[in-house]
Order: sequence, then structure tokens, then C-alpha cells
Amino acid sequence: MFQNMMDKSVAKSPWLFHVNAGSCNGCDIELVAVLTPRYDAERLGFRLAGSPRQADIVVVSGPVTRQTRDRVIRTIEQVPEPRVVVSIGSCPRSGNVFKGSYAIDGPLEKWVHVDVAVAGCSPKPEAIMAGLAQATEILKQKRKEMRK
Amino acid sequence: MTISMAHFPILAIMVLFLGAFLVALFGRKSEVLRNGISFLATGGAMAFMLALIKPVMIDGEVITYWLGNWAPVSGWAIGISIEVDALSLFFGLVITVAVFVSCIYAFTYMKEDDSLANYFTLFLMLSGSVLGLVLSGDLFNMFVMIEIMTFTAVALTAFRNNYEGAIEGAFKYLAVGALGSTAVLTGIAILYCQLHTLNLAQIAATLPQYADSPLTIMAFGLLFIGFGTKAFIFPFHPLAADAHAVAPASISLMISGVLTKCGVYGIIRLVYVLFQNVEVPAVQYLVVGFGTVSMFICVTMAFNQHNFKRLLAFHSISQVGYVIAAIGLGTALGLSSGLYHAMNHTLFKGLLFLTAGAVQHATGSLDLDRLGGLAKKMPKTCILFLIGAASISGLPPFNGFASKWYIYQAAFEKGSTSGNFFFIFVCVVALITSVLTLASFIKVAQSVFFGQLSPEFKDTKEVSLAMRIPMWILAVLCIFTGLLPGKVSEYLLTPATNAAMNAVNYIDQMMGQGYAVSHGVAGSLGDTAVTFAGVWDPVIWLLLLFCVTCAVAIVAILGSNRKLGTREAPAALQEPEKVAPAEAKYEPFFSGEESVYSQVGGSDLFWGFKHNLKKYFSFMHDWHSGIVNDYALYGVVAIAFVLVFCIAFV
Amino acid sequence: MTTFLINLVQLLIFPGLLFCVVFGVLLAGIDRKLVARMQRRVGPPILQPWYDFVKCCGKETIIPRYAKRAIFIGAPYVGLAGLIVIALFIPVSTYGSAFSAGADLVVILYLLTVAGVALIVGAATSGSPFAGVGLSREMVAMISYELPFVLVLLAVGRVAGTGTAIGCTFSLGTIAAFQAANGPLIAHWSLIPAAIAMLLVIPCEVGSHPFDIAEAETEICEGALTEYSGSPLGVFRLSHYIKMYIMTALFCAMFLGGITTGIAGVVGIVVDVIIFLVLCGVVSFLCMTIPHAICARLRVEQIFKFYWTIVAGLAAVSLIMVWVGL
Repeated sequence: MFQNMMDKSVAKSPWLFHVNAGSCNGCDIELVAVLTPRYDAERLGFRLAGSPRQADIVVVSGPVTRQTRDRVIRTIEQVPEPRVVVSIGSCPRSGNVFKGSYAIDGPLEKWVHVDVAVAGCSPKPEAIMAGLAQATEILKQKRKEMRK
Repeated sequence: MTISMAHFPILAIMVLFLGAFLVALFGRKSEVLRNGISFLATGGAMAFMLALIKPVMIDGEVITYWLGNWAPVSGWAIGISIEVDALSLFFGLVITVAVFVSCIYAFTYMKEDDSLANYFTLFLMLSGSVLGLVLSGDLFNMFVMIEIMTFTAVALTAFRNNYEGAIEGAFKYLAVGALGSTAVLTGIAILYCQLHTLNLAQIAATLPQYADSPLTIMAFGLLFIGFGTKAFIFPFHPLAADAHAVAPASISLMISGVLTKCGVYGIIRLVYVLFQNVEVPAVQYLVVGFGTVSMFICVTMAFNQHNFKRLLAFHSISQVGYVIAAIGLGTALGLSSGLYHAMNHTLFKGLLFLTAGAVQHATGSLDLDRLGGLAKKMPKTCILFLIGAASISGLPPFNGFASKWYIYQAAFEKGSTSGNFFFIFVCVVALITSVLTLASFIKVAQSVFFGQLSPEFKDTKEVSLAMRIPMWILAVLCIFTGLLPGKVSEYLLTPATNAAMNAVNYIDQMMGQGYAVSHGVAGSLGDTAVTFAGVWDPVIWLLLLFCVTCAVAIVAILGSNRKLGTREAPAALQEPEKVAPAEAKYEPFFSGEESVYSQVGGSDLFWGFKHNLKKYFSFMHDWHSGIVNDYALYGVVAIAFVLVFCIAFV
Repeated sequence: MTTFLINLVQLLIFPGLLFCVVFGVLLAGIDRKLVARMQRRVGPPILQPWYDFVKCCGKETIIPRYAKRAIFIGAPYVGLAGLIVIALFIPVSTYGSAFSAGADLVVILYLLTVAGVALIVGAATSGSPFAGVGLSREMVAMISYELPFVLVLLAVGRVAGTGTAIGCTFSLGTIAAFQAANGPLIAHWSLIPAAIAMLLVIPCEVGSHPFDIAEAETEICEGALTEYSGSPLGVFRLSHYIKMYIMTALFCAMFLGGITTGIAGVVGIVVDVIIFLVLCGVVSFLCMTIPHAICARLRVEQIFKFYWTIVAGLAAVSLIMVWVGL
């Protein structure tokens, strides 16, 4: 009974941790906008956590630069299970305009398994919300699998 | 000649002095002999004191003994006397337990020092003199004991003369302590000139005739400030800081736990028994005022310290400030709570100094800015430190909470019954000091035991069991006196308070029945029925805490998914990428992956508090200049102030 | 045996563990919802704090390498246990548990300190430098609110003790009896500054915005709770919600006691308890929700200055007025 309650709660209270892997900040601003009163992600229970240890969903933006690559991997490793990685924007997916540069070492999929990728440059807040909502469903699935 | 109960006090004192003599003779030859004699001497003294609990505390007798059988002749006391009433025995118990623990601790702690025969000789002399002070019934005998105490303490402070500042610290202690001793001697001389007697009981009996004479009042002031120097009240507190920082830990226990109590004992005898003027408002203001100022200034000074033992020294004086403020209130509850806190202070302060000694023994350093993360290497010392820190901060259910709570009640009630706002102010300062004490010990815990381990200390090992046993003795006593305040009150505190407040009995036991009344001494002071208000039954609380903790833990464990095991760094990170030579110029921009030592502790903590009180802290910093001439000046100013205050208002 | 069972029920259900959890979660949820509404957005559902807690319990607990395991995991439970013991002490309107007759304000003050120390020690054992900074700030916040809190306690104790032999009291039982006889203490106009000071102390004690230096600092990666995850984190957050209930209940017990219907029997008790809880909610709205929605977070030295000058000044004014006999 407790376990069912926990499965449901994991979907109802997903906490975000935002990692900037060399982003131009455009996606970051849109992510913060999602939490403002106009789009209000808090009604779905989202909350920006300050520490990766308290997060459920890791939101990564930016092409993974060489300097940030190890840090991103480390940070994601510090997030307790069950966790979901969401990449925002097209930079983590393909590098966008930075593809082929000496400075980046992406895409993110090369290093961690990305569960949800929200495309766009920068994606609209509504798209980000839709991506996060999908991520909560995947989170619930992962928790159920974790129990087995 | 049979040895009866009456001989126990003098035997206790003599056993210690004899031990000192024997160690001086034979200690150099054999370590076993030296340690054995010390152990027997301190253990014997403790045993004698414990044996006296039944007759003195429970049955209410007062043991009197005239040295050389020089009993009073036609109402004049000629010989040196020993009078052990419940108050003296209370302090005697506290002292002998502390001495015993310090002795056992020193066996292991001082192992690497040489000339240990000297150490134990001086130590046993110190113990004997302190015990002689509290058991003595004669004022000049008390002074002699003070002198032995001071000199041995000074010598022991400088014992590790290879430490930087050791001799300087001892010199400061000597120089300003001499001021205090001089004040005591002058006071005694004035009293002798007026009353022609040195016996405490006789002085107490004949003093009321001269109560209004300015000479007597001057003697009171001198004696008060003299005993206060021994207790390191403001403004004599910088001596304690310097002395404690360089003394070996077992001696720090003695100085803070035992010598300060002698000063407190002297003040209690002075105010409650000798002069019986504790109900005079001016005297209350004087005593409580000094206590409160000591309390607050020392705890704020502790925020600036980098040295573990200096910080503990400032807290020691702050807690003694609590004791003096409590006994200055003049009520039975005040005296009772002050005595309780004095006992608790010896226990938890001793424990804290011993843990500081353990840290020093294991790492060689006491610098709060350099230590850190020792909980991993010294877990048992860490637990002992946490017990001591919780006690001094006044967290329930340890002993510091119980005694501090009673002190607050005493101050609040005194303020209400007398209608005087000063005592409410004292109550507020006491409560604030308590939370500042807590902050200070959080700082020490974070700086020494928690946080990150510095690479220079990665080889430290836990201290040996022989050093941990004395610490555990004190810790267990801390816990028990906190869990059973009712029993402590019944067996120890109430008899001691009654003894102190009942000067008539004290005098009569010594000089014969009816002596006191014939000299016009009034009856006992005030109401000695102590009611510890409020529901404080700690055993029930612990059961509650335990039940709740179990309940909560069960609920949490039921639901969680615990995978035990360690996590390795992910495969992607296993090989750090080597930077090709052509790209070496970008190296500074790709900082490495080694973990950086970044301990937040020591001076980094409590910035917000220190920032707002910058002016106050810089004033304090300048005022505690470290120059012995300045400290002597503060001492002289204090003596002058007390004298003027006494003559003007008392 | 029956007293033991009754005590156990009081400990675990009402006014102990279960009641605190339920009502704390409700208070926290309503607070978040109201803040959201004040910011013209929809906001999370009222049971959101409960979902937060349960989710944390369902997550994996990671213990960092530098941490001391036993203290790291045990600290939140000790804090929670301390808070439940306080809850047993505070009389819920006319219903008091076995312990609330002799409950002492100083003991409650120290138990609140224990709860704060549990957070600090937990942070210290985690070994993270962020936690070091966080615990330092939390301790300064504790120093800040203790002074006005103490002054308020003394003022209230003096007024409520005017009938007793000594003339002052620290006992909540006496305060409750005084208010039952003479009406709520907030009606004494000399105690109004003290009540305002207490209202200002509550958000700092609870650790809610704008005084949430210890918990929600994104500047230092969550500060004191940096390394916590899983059920210890859940228990810390639960302690936060329970503290909201305890502080508002303490305010109601000290200043708003005596507001009861006259109905006797179980029905009367139930109605009184509901009135008490409604009052708690109103107090929470006044002192926690409104500043939360309006103010930005204060820095730690601003908190210290604010509490030791303005709030302590208010409380001291009240104490002096009470003392002089106004």
C-alpha cells in the first residue's frame, strides 16, 4: 500500500535540477519562465531543487562542452534513483550551430541516456512543460521497475 | 587511637600531600611506583570523601576536627580547624572526583613528557591544597591553601615549557593571581585586626557586631575580589585563556573544574556564612553583576578564537559566571541551582578539556582552522565530545539543561518577588548566553570533528582506551546527573544549600552549642525549601523520544528501497582525458578533477553574527591585548571599583 | 496500564505524531496554495507537501563518503522526535495531554533548539562545505530569533503569573488557566507589541521564506540539506511542516487561549479543537503566507540585525510595560 502511494507521489512531486552544459542561456531563461506565474509549473508539483541529491528530473541544456562533460556526468550520477534526464533545446541533441567545434563533446546521448528530448532553439515554455509532464510519466515507470 | 569518621577529612588531605612527598622521593626511580602512589593517593582521597556522604549529607552531621586537639579555650578558637558540613563535602566530592579522573588521564596523556615525577608531585600538592581549602574551617589556612594552589597551578601550566607561550601564560597567571592573593591576605589581615580570630565559625559569630564598620566592609570587598580572581571572573578572565591554551589537558581540567570552584566556594562562604549579607541588595547587585558580565563577555570572546582550548577556557569562565550570578541571587533556589551548575560544570567542562587533550594527543594540533573531519578517524572521541557539547549547551536531557533551567527559574522568581528589573535582565542575558554557547560548540564540532579531513591529518588514530576511560566516567556522570535531578537535589544539593544558609548550625557545631545565639547571630537565612517547578522527569522523556523514534523509523523504512552498496564513478569518467601537447595552452581553462580540500570551519563560520557586531569584537580584540601589565591594571581597577562600591553602597 | 495506553495514543495519534503530520501538511499546503493565489497563479494541490514527503521516502538514500553514517541518518529522526514531544506539551485549546499540565516554556524553547541542532548536526556530518556554510547561517538565524523569543516568554510569563504566589510563571498550564479565567492575553494592550514580535519570530523559527537561509538557498546548493536524499530528507521536510503547526499552536496557546465555546463534553472539546486549528491557520496566514508572498529573501546579517533591533525592541517594550505595571 505504501509502495503504491509512493509510485503515485513520485509522479506528483517531481523536483528539477538544472545543469547548464555550456548553453547560451536561451533555454535556461525559457526553463525559468516555465516556473513563473504565467505558465506555472508548480501546479504540477515541479520545484527547482538546489542540490542534485534532492532532484528527480535532471534538465540539461547546452551542447556538452569539453569542460562541462565530466561535471555533467558526475552531477547526474549524484542524483538518486529513480531519475530521468531531460534535454532541453537542440544543442544537447545535435550541437545545433556548434556542431563540429573543437570545444564541444556532445551529443548528450553519448554520455547519459536521455529519456526526454525537447527540441527547439529555444523551445517554447509550453513545449518544455509537455516534455516535463512526459518525464513524470517515465519517472513513475522507472519507480515501478525499480521495485522489481 | 582509633580512626573515626572525624578523622576522614584530615586523612583525605594528608593522603594527597603524603602522596606528593612519596612521589618526589621515589617517583624518579620507577614509573610504576609513581603511577601507583598517585592512583592510591587520589583514589584514597575520593574514597574518604565518598565515605563521608552518609553521615554528612544524609544524616546531617557536621564533622569538626581540631588539629592537634587544640580545642577552643574560653570561647576563643586557637587551633586550626577542619569543619566539614554539607557545603564543604559537596565541593570536596566534586573536587576529588575531578582529581581522580585527571590523574588516570594523565598516566597516558603525559607519557611522552619527561620529568613526570615533578608533574605528579605538583599535581598531588595541587589536589591536596584544593581539598584543604574547601574542608578548612580556618580563614588563614584557606589562604595558605590558596597560595599552594596558585603556585602549583602556575608551575603545572608551564610544565610543557617547550610550547610557545607556555612560560608567558604561566607568568601572567602568577602576576595577576598574586594580585588576588594579596587582596585575600589584606582582607584576612583586616578581619584579624578587628576580630582577633581566624576561625571561620568564630568570625561568623563575632562579625555582626562590626557589621557597619567601614573596615569590615572593606575586608568584604577585598575578600570577594580576591576569591573572584581565583574563579577568574571578569576582568581576570584573560589569564584563564592564556593559561588553558598552554597547560596540559589534565591540568586544564584542574584549573577550570577545580580551582574555579575554590573561588566559588570562597565566595559562598563569604557571603552566606561569614558576612551573612547576601540579602543586602547592594551585595546581590555586586555578585550577580560580576557573574552576568563574565557570562556574556566571555561567550562573545569565544567566537573569535582559533585555538580549541582557548575557546574552551572562555566558555569555562562564562559558565562560572552563571554559577556566581545564581549564588548571588540570595534565594535557596538560586544557591541550589548555582551549586548544581558548579558540579555540572566540572563534569562537562572536564570532559571537553579531556577530549581537546585527546585531539591534541592524536593530531598534535589544536588549531580550529586546520583541523577537520576527525570524526572518521576518532569516532569514539567524537561521541564523547558531542555529549560534552550537548551538556554545556543545555540541550535536554543532559545535565546542563537541568541546572540552567533552575537558574532561569531562580532569576525570574527573584525578579518577580523583588520587583527588580535587574534580575529579569540577568535572566535574559543568561538565556542569550546559552544559545551563544550552543553556536560556539557547533562551530567547534564542525571545525574539528565534522567537515573534510585535511591531508596533513590523514594518519591520525583513535586515542587509547586508557585515555577514553576517564572521559567515559565523566560522560556517564554527565548523563546521570541530567537524568536524575531529583535524586541529585535530594542527596547533594538540598543538604548543601541548607548548610550554607544555616550559619547558626555551622557556628554552633564548631564552638559549642549556643555560641552563635549568645553573640547575636540571627537564625538561618530565608526559606530553604527548594521547589523545582515544572514537570521534568527525564526518564519519561527518553522513553518518549525512543518510542517516537522507533515509530518514525518503522514508517520510513517500510517504504524505502534501500540498496546498500557503494557506487563507483561511472565508466565514462574512468580515464581522465589526456590533454594533447598541442592543446596544452588550454590547460588552465580545463581545471582538473581531483577533489579539492575545502573545509568550511573555524573563522569561516558565523560571518553574519560577527559582521554586525564588528565594532564590539574589534574593541574586545584590542582590549585583550595579551600584555600582562594591562591585565594587572584591569585587576587593580577591579579591586578599586569593588572597594568603592562596597564602601558606598553596602 | 491504561494510563500507559492513553499516553501512547496521545503520543502517536492525538496530539502527537499523526495529528501533527496531518495538520502540518495541511498548513503547509494551504500556505503554498495561498501564496500561489496571491501571485495570480493556480498553485500546487493542497496535499502537495504530503506528496513531497512520500516521494522522498520512495527515493534512494545516498550517503556521501565523508559522512558519518549513524549520525547522518539519525539526525532527522531525533529532530522529529523532539518536535513531537513539544506537540505533546502544547495544550490544544481545552484538551491537554497528560504532560501539558506542567509544560514549561523554557523546556519548549530548548526542545525547539534540539530540533534546530538536529538539522545542524546532520548538515555537519555530511562533510560538504556547502553544508558548512548552510549550518553557519542556520545557527546565526537561531541566535537572531532567540532574543526576542525569550523577551516575549518573560513578558507573557509575568502577566499570566500575576495570580500566583511568586508572581511569574513559565508554565503553559498556568498560562492556559489564566486565559480561561481572564480571556485571551492578546487583549492586554501592553502585550500587543510582544504578540507582534512573536508573529515575526515564527517565520524565522520555522525557516520559511523570507528567512529560509538554511534550507532553500540555491546559492549554496540547498545549504544545510545539500547531501540529503531519500527518507532522511523526507523526514527533515516533514519536520519543517510540523514546525509550522507547533509554532502557530504555541502562539495560539500563549496569546489566543480562552477563546472557547462553553459546550461541555466531547462535542465541546471537538468544537474547541476545530476553533483552535482555525486560529492556527489564521496566524499562519498572517505571519508566514503574507511575508512569503511579498518579501524577498533576507541575507543572514540582515536577519540578525532585524531581529536584534526591531523585533527585540518590540518585545522589550512590551516587557518593560508589563513590568512597570501598565
